[in-house]
Amino acid sequence: MTDIFTEVRNVSKRFSAKPDFAEKLAIKLGAASTPPVVHALDGVDLQVRRGEVVGLVGESGCGKSTLGRIIAGMLPPTEGEVYVEGAERSQLRGQAARHARLNTQIIFQDPMSSLNPRKRVVDIVGEAPVAHGLIRRGEKQAYVENLLQTVGLDPSMADRYPHQFSGGQRQRIGIARALAVKPEFLICDESIAALDISIQAQVINLFMDLRRQLDLTYLFISHDLSVVNHIADRVVIMYLGRIVEEGSADQIFDGPNHPYTAALLSEVPRIDRRHRTFQTIKGEIPSPMNPPPGCHFHPRCPFAFDRCRAERPALRTLADGRRSACHLNDLDQRPNFSVTEQARENSL
Amino acid sequence: MTMDATNSTETILEVSDLQTHFFTPAGVVKSVDGVSLTLKRGEILGLVGESGSGKSITGFSILGLVDPPGRNVGGSILFRGEELLGASEERLRSLRGNRIAMIFQDPMMTLNPVLSIKTHMIETVLAHESVSRSEALARSIDALRMVGISQPEKRIESYPHEFSGGMRQRVAIAIALLHKPDLIIADEPTTALDVTIQSQILSEMQKLCRELGLGLIWISHDLGVVAGLADRIAVMYAGRIVEQGTVDEVLDTPRHPYTAGLIGSAPAANSRGSRLTQIRGAAPHPLNRPEGCAFRTRCDYATDICRQEPPETRGSNTQSWRCFHPLATSNLETLP
Repeated sequence: MTDIFTEVRNVSKRFSAKPDFAEKLAIKLGAASTPPVVHALDGVDLQVRRGEVVGLVGESGCGKSTLGRIIAGMLPPTEGEVYVEGAERSQLRGQAARHARLNTQIIFQDPMSSLNPRKRVVDIVGEAPVAHGLIRRGEKQAYVENLLQTVGLDPSMADRYPHQFSGGQRQRIGIARALAVKPEFLICDESIAALDISIQAQVINLFMDLRRQLDLTYLFISHDLSVVNHIADRVVIMYLGRIVEEGSADQIFDGPNHPYTAALLSEVPRIDRRHRTFQTIKGEIPSPMNPPPGCHFHPRCPFAFDRCRAERPALRTLADGRRSACHLNDLDQRPNFSVTEQARENSL
Repeated sequence: MTMDATNSTETILEVSDLQTHFFTPAGVVKSVDGVSLTLKRGEILGLVGESGSGKSITGFSILGLVDPPGRNVGGSILFRGEELLGASEERLRSLRGNRIAMIFQDPMMTLNPVLSIKTHMIETVLAHESVSRSEALARSIDALRMVGISQPEKRIESYPHEFSGGMRQRVAIAIALLHKPDLIIADEPTTALDVTIQSQILSEMQKLCRELGLGLIWISHDLGVVAGLADRIAVMYAGRIVEQGTVDEVLDTPRHPYTAGLIGSAPAANSRGSRLTQIRGAAPHPLNRPEGCAFRTRCDYATDICRQEPPETRGSNTQSWRCFHPLATSNLETLP
């Protein structure tokens, strides 16, 4: 099992507002309905193998960040289990639990709101390794300066405050802080979404360099397919709390199986796609408070038939090794949409 | 005010040497420092730049919406031949929302949360034309239908919070279209939206531009969106347009090193696993820009001459750039 670094099995997460006293009373008297429940994740299975970069893609509200937080141990799942290096996370105690927590680090989207504005960089980055006994207090300055160098910052800036840095530099501080406790697994939750393009490229390059230098495993959460296409080995597509398709980057980008993946791919803005006539998938993303029955994508799917409206498609492994959750795979004659615009361009 | 066919190549906007500076206690920020651009009817211009490049302030300046400590200190803005810089506030108000409309990034900020969509739209119609309320309502419903909102008769009664982000942006576009403007300035209107929703909005805008023959300035940081939508691109850096031309010219044969760097920074379909060509460093602080070419501190080609102001060089009829060391078109095979 050493091959698999972390695994989630049948994980669901539901959020609901806790009713206050008056609401409880109202519910008891039948005057108010029960509070709405957000189905953020609905029976998700995912494995991340050691050393690979998994891209987790989806639009807002699809549960990709929730899944990242559950894997990082920041949120407990409502149902299902999370395994880290073969052991179930919630069963871990003491030293083992601490190791599991430190070994997985998460880097957030907005570096300004995830860095304490009243602390110096040396304390932001150096606090965790001192607290966890990885280094002694006296070694902190040198340790942090070394880390800053690793992420491409001038070590002499260790005594500055976050506001004295630009957005890209702040994101590098966030990365240095994550690396400070020597993790093997980094979860990047939209870590480059807030950065300018030229800075994005710098940070993407940094992630790829760190992967080589430190043998890191990544879960790269993003809404940006072109970035995921660039760095991921394996791609997972989510829609409204469920994984709809998963496969190697080549499989997904060259021949999507799920209609939603195909629709997403055909709509990615790219520099080499000029003067487009935009074709669109109809409709809006449904609310996770009230997801449609059957396949969540069926109200927007051009190929939906009766079964899609009633029965949830299972995420099944197909002949080429990828997984896809679509009833079309059971039909004798699949509608032909897998040749997307992008696949055609790539084959030229 | 309807478009007639003979008029379709009319230049509706001509901005020359526009300068908008902000007089802050810490010093003068030259947000827009000599911007020149033109726009024809039915044309879409993508104004591209990173944060702080002055692309939004250029848009605000055209509408006369720059607040103190900001001030237009020079240049000219000709809208259908009429000078807007120095025009009376009264005249500007009669143009804004009428002949020139603006769409912003966050529609929740531009819509009043306590007014229904109906109130927003009827008031916008009545602000510029004296028609009956029922006629204003009918026009509002038509505008909503035009941007792809189903059941507009019913949805118009809703309040902004009852719409999703994409729908709110459609409402904002519908409001901008109420008076069939000659020019729309759109400031990152799809940046906050999901890919599939963004695509829907882009498709509506493209259709409307063609059908109504309006000029559109699409301000964005996303070269991919602009590549798909625009006819021409202007690239801004530190308050200046460093390169402009048709989409194909600028993206296929960029002459300014900054443009080439931006293109290389965006992951392409065939770049998987390779290092992206990055631009080193970060944009200079607006109070502390290098003199001469503001990009020279990040540029691999910079020499001493770059300390002087690079003049605008014309290549073809349509492409121009401001650089002493433009990339040769023959070297472009090495660029991604």
